[in-house]
Amino acid sequence: MATPLEIHDLTVSYDKKPVIWGVDLAVPEGKLVGIIGPNGAGKSTLIKAIMGHIPLSSGWVKIFGKPYSENRTRVGYVPQRESVDWDFPVTVMDVVLMGRYGRLGLFKRPKKSDREIARECLDKVKMLPFANRQIANLSGGQQQRVFLARALAQESDIYLMDEPFAGVDAATESAIVTLLQELKNRGKTLLVVHHDLSTAPGYFDMLLLLNMRVVAFGPTEQVFNAELLQKTYGGRLTILADVAEKIKQQR
Amino acid sequence: MNFLPIHPPWSGRHIPRTLYVCVIAAVILFVFSCPSAMAARIGEISETNIGDQVYRFFTLQDPSVRYTIAGCILLGTCCGMLGSFIVVRKMALMGDALSHAVLPGVALGFLWTMEKNPLYIFVGATIAGLIGTATVSAIKRTTRLKEDTALGIVLASFYAVGICLLTYIQHLPTGNKSGIDKFLFGQAAAMGREDLILMAVVCVICLVMVYLFYKELLALSFDTAFARSLGLNVDLLHHMLMLLLSFAVVISLKAVGVVLVSAMLITPAATAYLLTERLSRMIGIAIVVGMVSGIAGAFFSFLGNNLPTGPFIVLAASLFFVGAFLFAPKHGVILRWWRTLNRRKRTIRENMLKSIYHVLEQRGFDAEGVSTRELAEQRRETVEDVEGTLRELNSHSLITRHEDGNITIFTPDGWQRAATIVRNHRLWELYLTNEASIAADHVHDDAEIIEHVLGEETVMELQKRLDYANLDPHGKHIPTREDIEQRGRHQKPGTLTSGYGGQV
Amino acid sequence: MDVQYVFIEPWTTEFSNTIWIYLMGFFVASACGLVGNYLILRRMALVGDAISHSVLPGLAVAFLLSHSRQTWTMFLGAMLAGIVTTLLIEVIHSKSRVKQDAAIGIAFSSLFAIGVILISVFASKVDLDQECVLYGEIEYVASDLPVLIGSTVIGPAAVVRMAGVLLGTVILIVLFYKELLVSSFDKGLALSLGVNSTVVHYALMATLSIVVVSAFESVGAILVIAMLIIPGATAYLLTDRLPTMMVITVIHSALSALMGIHLARWWSNSATAGAMVVSASILFALAWVFSPRHGLIRRYLKVKVLTPEPESI
Repeated sequence: MATPLEIHDLTVSYDKKPVIWGVDLAVPEGKLVGIIGPNGAGKSTLIKAIMGHIPLSSGWVKIFGKPYSENRTRVGYVPQRESVDWDFPVTVMDVVLMGRYGRLGLFKRPKKSDREIARECLDKVKMLPFANRQIANLSGGQQQRVFLARALAQESDIYLMDEPFAGVDAATESAIVTLLQELKNRGKTLLVVHHDLSTAPGYFDMLLLLNMRVVAFGPTEQVFNAELLQKTYGGRLTILADVAEKIKQQR
Repeated sequence: MNFLPIHPPWSGRHIPRTLYVCVIAAVILFVFSCPSAMAARIGEISETNIGDQVYRFFTLQDPSVRYTIAGCILLGTCCGMLGSFIVVRKMALMGDALSHAVLPGVALGFLWTMEKNPLYIFVGATIAGLIGTATVSAIKRTTRLKEDTALGIVLASFYAVGICLLTYIQHLPTGNKSGIDKFLFGQAAAMGREDLILMAVVCVICLVMVYLFYKELLALSFDTAFARSLGLNVDLLHHMLMLLLSFAVVISLKAVGVVLVSAMLITPAATAYLLTERLSRMIGIAIVVGMVSGIAGAFFSFLGNNLPTGPFIVLAASLFFVGAFLFAPKHGVILRWWRTLNRRKRTIRENMLKSIYHVLEQRGFDAEGVSTRELAEQRRETVEDVEGTLRELNSHSLITRHEDGNITIFTPDGWQRAATIVRNHRLWELYLTNEASIAADHVHDDAEIIEHVLGEETVMELQKRLDYANLDPHGKHIPTREDIEQRGRHQKPGTLTSGYGGQV
Repeated sequence: MDVQYVFIEPWTTEFSNTIWIYLMGFFVASACGLVGNYLILRRMALVGDAISHSVLPGLAVAFLLSHSRQTWTMFLGAMLAGIVTTLLIEVIHSKSRVKQDAAIGIAFSSLFAIGVILISVFASKVDLDQECVLYGEIEYVASDLPVLIGSTVIGPAAVVRMAGVLLGTVILIVLFYKELLVSSFDKGLALSLGVNSTVVHYALMATLSIVVVSAFESVGAILVIAMLIIPGATAYLLTDRLPTMMVITVIHSALSALMGIHLARWWSNSATAGAMVVSASILFALAWVFSPRHGLIRRYLKVKVLTPEPESI
């Protein structure tokens, strides 16, 4: 069975400025991986680059041995909450149904089975009572759970999540963690950008320490130590940042 | 991110820029003069030849021409000034909404006295404009409709009311409707003395207000929340700006027409935006561009018969914009493309220098000359390609060529440059491998880009970080400063004691 | 007010005339409104305004090159003008510091200016009266050449054309509902689903151009600009669901067209297009104030009596 996610020599520029340098990564199946690093370290950029939202300056990404474009349906995405207009006239159910669109063709409508799956996913995140509510009338935690339900509805094997715990109340946070563990136990692979160092070791099996390049990647017990964290957060990489800035200004 | 041209402490030299603008203006005006002759002939056959007409225009013989030019100067000033603020605040299309929203006011102003009294029309239009902006704010505040939708609603509905009223006026027995028609597309030649007086008064008011409240408006435009926290009455300032904007719109109606007023607000200001980093200069340039466009446009509509002025003025302004877009000293598209091209050529040259160095190094720096064939092999290129680059290097005095161009030898400058590049490359590779933990086989490609970009400061920083190491990840010697500066080539690099010590 | 004249006669003695005016207004408003819904949701309301101005040079050029006012050449000219406008806006704001709002203004005003110049200079050859372009002649739509199938008359050419455009728009929206929805709501998701947002964007602009120009020919620019935004905005205030929004848009169009006819007869028996827009605005104002969920009155009441929403986690 091919590795769920394999990245080789990935260099990505955002707005002409290199933000990730030469990333190598092989994520094994059935793991809950947390990505941690300081602000501006390229964590969200890495996620977006995996999905091809941003062009790669070098390197490649393979999903189960194939390029992303061929294996799109196997990757589920939970974006940051700010990326969406919450005034949009859609209900919670509409949003979750969007997760099924990848499996429908160009002209097809969601079928009854799709709706059933959507309902199940909503139930899993305990948002089923809100199915017909317009999304603006939800709290932060509820919105996050709707996004999660949408990702679940995609029925993917890999889940990429961008700061799912940001700005979320404690009850929702523990609900989400439980859900993620459950997914992991079912053999899914999860890559989660996380913002809170204190909770990281508790939530994740493996950690990716990222600061413009991979500082370390491995099981949490091995990787979450003072020395590596210092390397990640310690700011010894100003040269990389400076050179990146120079390259941007050249263009 | 520099969206507001606030004066950065290191900028200066504004005179060349203003000169730049004037030169562009003169050139474009000249260019314009030629094809205009053709355009005029198509529409109308006039007996006087073009030369006469041009002469008539520029000697200001006709009072209408004098009025037109005066009007355009005033229009350019007002619109350029206020347009700068809305462009910088990213509310450029508020001008468009206003210009449509004032129409019912114009009609009502006419209906009030049943004659084209500029003052009543002005007052009516301004009131309509204010009601329009207030409605936009109200919609934004009280519904979930976004700004663009609110602007569109006000724009369309007020405009429709205006058109209804205009049609009503057109059917009235009191003739005189033709004057109102001109509000749609503009007819600067129809400006009368009263119009001009009104324009002048309004212009002065705008100038004075902007001058008095300049720093408040600057704070408002840049960061509204911050301005509020300073204790400024942000709402009042905003409404004042909208009021002045309405003024500018209304006085421009006659010259440019309803649809194109927003162009006079936006285009000169956007042109100025590309040419400077200071708001005060931006306003100045916008005013100049507005004035010149106005005069140019009036000129060309004058040449033809019964041509509307508005489109010509707008077109002139757009041409200025295109000029700035392509050729602006810092941000112009053509200039950036040119710089990229030059950079690419420089990279190719420097890569060749590097290759010459590599070939010499492989031979242990025994001989000075490198053959063209060796270079072609090293670089895996054809001999012709290598030839081309070598010729360029020769013309830059980085190499000298011997034996009919078969052998290449560095000049002292060329040697310095080559050794510097190689040093940068190898330092960077070492840095990536050691400090950034990037696998050694990934590193080579990245370095190809970086080595041309590193400055002396960064290199010194790198050397310090790497403890002044001597060897790169592949075991090759990293040129030291002595190596680079040595003129006598009998010293092989690496044999000088650098005094640093330390190894990978 | 002569009630007989304003309300009764249109539907009795002048029925054959009125019905076509009504249908034309309804079709135009519906087609514009449906496309306009997406403009509102994608925050591109003013791009719609821009394109409705900038199709002018497209029309002028098409006419000058083909020497005819055939539908297909007009459509083609308009579509190209719309795409050129969109491209220009993109180029200006992505390749310089100029922001999108200013880019829109520059693009459409330049193109419009070119259009007006072309029409003025070649006035004799171009059968496009400036004023006609602006407020059109919906009152005369009934006297347009009739369209025949076999030997039965369906209706005046302009109305039939507009009906066709409306039908085409509805079909496109239904077929590509999912793609339009996802690319408008969440571009990130659209990308990961394989929906090409750029293609959707340009296709929407092309459709918009065609809708705009076919409406232009009989009702002029004002009606078009207004009907792009006002029906959708009204619907947005009345519902939280997109399909319902579409339905309300159509109902709004039907009502505005009706009210417009009567309003115009009351005032001056002309500028029917303007009257339709005024009616549309009145309906918008009503929704703004009285909307059950989002209206001003409701907001006022909410502030007075604070009712917390039950939150169950």
